[in-house]
Amino acid sequence: MPQFGRGKPAAGAFFDSDFRTIDNVLAVGLLHGLQGKGDCTVAIVTMSRPNLAVAAYLDVIERYYRGPAGNFSQVPPIGLCTDGSPGETSPAYVEPFQKKKPDGTPVYQNEVKGVNQTGDPTLLIRNYLQAQYEQNCFFILSGPATNLAAALDFQGVKELLAAKAKYLVVAGGAFPFGPAEAHIKADIPAFKKLLAQWPTPIFFSGNEVGAALEFPGASLDKDAAAAPVDHPVADAYRANKMMPYNAPSWAMTAALHGARPKEGYFKLSGPGQVSVDAEGRTAFSPAEKGNHQYLIVDPAQKEKIILAYVELATTKYVPRRFGKAAAAAADDQEQQPPPKTLPPTKK
Amino acid sequence: MIKGSTLGRRTFLRGIGTAAIGLPFLDAMAPALFASTAPEAPVRMAFFYLPNGMIMDAWNPSYEGKFGELPRTLKPLEPYKDDFIQLGNLTHNTGRALLDGAGDHGRCSGSYLTGVQVKKSVVEIKASVSFDQLVANQIGSKTRFASLELGMDDARQAGDCDSGYSCAYTNNLAWRGETQPLPPTLDPRVVFERLFGAGQPMTPAERARQAKNRRSILDFVTEDTHKLESSLGPSDRRKLDEYLSSIRDVESRIQRTESDNRQIDPHMDKPYGIPMDFAEHFKMMSDMITIAFQADLTRIVTFMVTREGSLRAYRELGISDGHHPLTHHRNQAELIEKVRKINEYHTRQFAGFIEKMKSTKEGDRSLLDNSMIVYGAGLQDGNLHLHEDLPTLMFGRGGNNFKTGRRIVARRETPMCNLFLTMMDRMGVHMEHFGDSNGHLTGLDLG
Repeated sequence: MPQFGRGKPAAGAFFDSDFRTIDNVLAVGLLHGLQGKGDCTVAIVTMSRPNLAVAAYLDVIERYYRGPAGNFSQVPPIGLCTDGSPGETSPAYVEPFQKKKPDGTPVYQNEVKGVNQTGDPTLLIRNYLQAQYEQNCFFILSGPATNLAAALDFQGVKELLAAKAKYLVVAGGAFPFGPAEAHIKADIPAFKKLLAQWPTPIFFSGNEVGAALEFPGASLDKDAAAAPVDHPVADAYRANKMMPYNAPSWAMTAALHGARPKEGYFKLSGPGQVSVDAEGRTAFSPAEKGNHQYLIVDPAQKEKIILAYVELATTKYVPRRFGKAAAAAADDQEQQPPPKTLPPTKK
Repeated sequence: MIKGSTLGRRTFLRGIGTAAIGLPFLDAMAPALFASTAPEAPVRMAFFYLPNGMIMDAWNPSYEGKFGELPRTLKPLEPYKDDFIQLGNLTHNTGRALLDGAGDHGRCSGSYLTGVQVKKSVVEIKASVSFDQLVANQIGSKTRFASLELGMDDARQAGDCDSGYSCAYTNNLAWRGETQPLPPTLDPRVVFERLFGAGQPMTPAERARQAKNRRSILDFVTEDTHKLESSLGPSDRRKLDEYLSSIRDVESRIQRTESDNRQIDPHMDKPYGIPMDFAEHFKMMSDMITIAFQADLTRIVTFMVTREGSLRAYRELGISDGHHPLTHHRNQAELIEKVRKINEYHTRQFAGFIEKMKSTKEGDRSLLDNSMIVYGAGLQDGNLHLHEDLPTLMFGRGGNNFKTGRRIVARRETPMCNLFLTMMDRMGVHMEHFGDSNGHLTGLDLG
């Protein structure tokens, strides 16, 4: 949460996903990497299917990036939806827990043993929205709209969203029109509700955008700076499938645009209105006063985007505290090879 | 023995001008013929508020469910471990900074029972009606006092007590309105006279005259007492005798304190009735809570044991540092140990109160069974200033509602106001929302 004495922080990022594909894990890492560059502040991560094993691993990632609890702050819980089917659990979320240090102790500790160590997504959204400055946060949705639709019904949340959130970026659908996409199909009523009631502008990154921009998996083993030893995002990626493989970056496109909307990574459609039919097919209708826009791949930006992915999705934890613990972590950081640098961010 | 007629629940022993003493629940108050359909005893609720958080490694056990080994701070409560629930993960989001900057102590006590983010100000205070007062507004007319607000530390209502937060936030728990805190009464004498006087506080001259004659307030109701005793059965007579003895005991201790204090320092700041000794002060106040509940003088009590951010030095434990500075221990083992000792000391005093509540019979149950006594803090760890997993114990079964003897851990970030909503229900006051609640707290019931 924002703290006193530090001025207005970078925009808060709220990330909601079903975490069925590995790009969502990379997107969480990317947001934390962008936080390290001062482009956003990760508020909370919420999940739209009741899979405790996945939540446990997400908790590892959050604790990795946030460091130990300190004065006035604690690592926020993972928001976990408790309705619906838990679905499959990718090895990405299980195998890293088997990884051992040279002394035989586990590299990653599972601290989420039960649902009560997670939070209710709508409650977390309400609580963490209250801690944001006016028009200083954004939402990323990369999964069914179940949690966000439920939040709209929660006392006072719609008003809080209107006051605090700048926009929502949805990784889902196909634009300007196309076949039904999995995220939308998974909960069509919730998506319809989102389109009708979400009080901020919405950007859509359709299936075609993430599919055209693949995360280069081989970079994890080539670039020590991008993937330090024992990094939970890198380890999840490696465990997900036989390496090396590239992964479509659906959620990452949304995260990148959310945190750096003015960087010009993507072209944007004109304003309009997105609709969804009974089968989950999305369509975009131009409208001068429309509140929706969709992202378009710009081939000229592709290299720059992939470079940002490689550099930022698996950065190391940057200590944000004072004292001995921070100094020790900083010393540790210095032993890593220096990361590549990107061109300065346009503000 | 009373035959054919029933003693009213609101019967008082009255004296000449100065005394009106409520009675405990006696068998004679329930018609014998209809004993099986006697009305349910009322449910009472009280809040014992502790400042500056707790050392959590000595507060939370490592398990959930039925109590096993209790952690160090809870050890004094071992004999009563079947009588309470330890609640985990309850959160006051409104106690957090939420863009208001420093002042976690001012916020945490201000929001504790109000459930709102209080306005950061020293002069323009603004909170909300606290939930105890919402209940008092609904059921307060059934008892002589709608509620009692007690404390032991500091009742200042003005000034800056924490980083721009008024002392009104750190020193009060109960709020009648947005700008109307109900300051706690610190002086046991004042509480005593309020409970057992005829409604008018004694003038200094009257008090001096009474002290000179070494008369007890019970002396003024002797005639009424004899009259009542002659109409009661043996069991009721014993109950009445125990009850009046407990009043006399408190009164004697207050008189002794007043006398001692005059000898110690005739110029002391504190009123003469306030004991120098923390444990003695706590016992007097908590004994009067028991008596007030027993006689159904009130069903709602808030007790700010010490004010939030309290600087009290516990010299009786050999600790000369202030409580609040100690909690900023920066992980120094020696300081942490001192705070643990203070936490444990507080719990030990509280255990004495629970013993009294438990040993006071009310019908088939104990007074404790018919109560909901919350013992807790508005901060989790005083060093980290966290507002989640607030230390919370709830004693009693709220009538016959709660399954006690266990630790229940809610989901993280569960609003503390959910507990309040559930307690309101048990008090007969039904609301859909309170503060930042998102529902009732589930899992407490007998099932």
